[in-house]
Amino acid sequence: MWLFMLPSVLVMALVLLYPFLSALYYSFTDYRLGGPPTSFIGLDNYTGLLTEGRFWADLLNTIGLVGISVALQLVIGMALALGLYGMTRGVRLVSILNFLPHVVTPVVGGIFLKWLFVGRWGLLDATLISFDIFPPDWLGDPFWARFTVVLADTWKFMPFLMLVLYAGLQSFDTALLEAASIDGANWWQRLRYVILPMMKPLILFVVAIRTMDAFRFFDLVYVLTNGGPGTATETITLYTYQIGFRMLEIGRASALGMITLVIVAIMVAGLIWFMTRRGREAF
Amino acid sequence: MRSSWQTQSVLLAVMGAFTLVNLVPILWGLIISLKQPGEAFSIPPTLIFEPTLIFHREVWVEKGFLSFLWNSLVIAAGTVFVSVPIGTLAAYGLARTRSRQASTLLFGLLAIRMLPQILLALPFFVMARYLALVDTYTMMILAMVAMNQPFTIWLMRSFFVDVPIELDEAAMIDGCNRWQAFWHVVLPAVRPGLAVTSLFSMLLAYNEFLFALILTGKNTKTLPVAIAEYGGEDIQYWSISAAAAIGIMLPAVIFTLLVQRHLIRGLTFGAVKG
Repeated sequence: MWLFMLPSVLVMALVLLYPFLSALYYSFTDYRLGGPPTSFIGLDNYTGLLTEGRFWADLLNTIGLVGISVALQLVIGMALALGLYGMTRGVRLVSILNFLPHVVTPVVGGIFLKWLFVGRWGLLDATLISFDIFPPDWLGDPFWARFTVVLADTWKFMPFLMLVLYAGLQSFDTALLEAASIDGANWWQRLRYVILPMMKPLILFVVAIRTMDAFRFFDLVYVLTNGGPGTATETITLYTYQIGFRMLEIGRASALGMITLVIVAIMVAGLIWFMTRRGREAF
Repeated sequence: MRSSWQTQSVLLAVMGAFTLVNLVPILWGLIISLKQPGEAFSIPPTLIFEPTLIFHREVWVEKGFLSFLWNSLVIAAGTVFVSVPIGTLAAYGLARTRSRQASTLLFGLLAIRMLPQILLALPFFVMARYLALVDTYTMMILAMVAMNQPFTIWLMRSFFVDVPIELDEAAMIDGCNRWQAFWHVVLPAVRPGLAVTSLFSMLLAYNEFLFALILTGKNTKTLPVAIAEYGGEDIQYWSISAAAAIGIMLPAVIFTLLVQRHLIRGLTFGAVKG
């Protein structure tokens, strides 16, 4: 049986393990492309980053942007899933159309959104100006830029949550819902006390996936704001990109990547712990 | 929950309206691509205009987007040809093993998903520099295989698990060895899974931006990088980049239609079977 896994394991050792270990090694050096010879500097990269204001601001940005948009996606996605569940016809058409934002190449999606929000000529501004409403600077004002990025992330990932939650709803035993109706539970009570508790494992599963994705969040922001104005919408990934590929400080960028990995691992471990603890209570 | 005719129409209207709003960005992009630049940014925006396809022609033929399309396709196809066969073998092995090591390996694969992409992008960039493989298909395909392998294994494994193990056993009683049982009996049974997994791997490679930005160059530039360079900034180029954006989107639309029955399974690493 292990023979079947051999080719894949060998390839992964080459393309995953080896790069990972090199990055780990770089993170303890002052490696700089085209710079002076590399020397080992221990934890200097790490301590440098952890005592830097920009790192903490970016971390806060990443968590804030993603926290808010995941909450939005969850609420809208759940509402859409319930809508689909209640529909008797047209389910497939509606779900596929709503799914498109998720499969569209992220860069292209970002550009589409940019044409809505870009100052003055964007669809939004052009429409508002025709009604003599003076719009805010969607991409240039720190607050509104964050708002737009949250909206963009929501647009892209809401379909994912919609489909997964809808699949969860479909796998239900409808007898339970009918029993609740007979017992006189209204729509809200059925949602609150029957549907949501049953969906809990699935909800936690998608939130875990989205948390991991959060620290890969790159394409959309890169196109929409490129972290601007200033560093108002800069995420950890964008900052790593700046250090690694603009300043070519591979050592420092690797350290930042490692820190990110630790943060993600802690968050996911926390979610799993929460999931299993709650799981035992529920069953 | 199934309800009366009135509730149904209200529900349909609400869902329809939401869908429309949700698709505004894409529809607006489509409209820009069909308008003359002068009309594209009129205030108020107009919906009635004489559509033109000249920008679609211009971007693909004159601006060389066809060669970027070629690069994108070579990389996506290369990724599938490396990643799916070896991933399928490993998935079969894992689906038919009940040992502790196997489940450790499976969760290890899931943990790889936690790796921030950019952390792997750094050593890939360094490697590419040292081996003089910047701006080659090889490097980009290797990177995409790395990103794809855990996903391929998990998704294929979920299809293998659906095939009853009795099938393997029957084949082996009939005189097949392990390999023959896999090749002649089990593999044909998961053909739809193979197609779905290939399509998903292809889409992931086709949509990839970060690695393409770093590892490709003049000769291997993919569509996402090309369109990002064109940007949405300069209104002079709006019509052309909108035409490109719409064209780049089409394979994704076709993809969705092809795998519609398996979307949920693919999206969740095979964990949720829709």
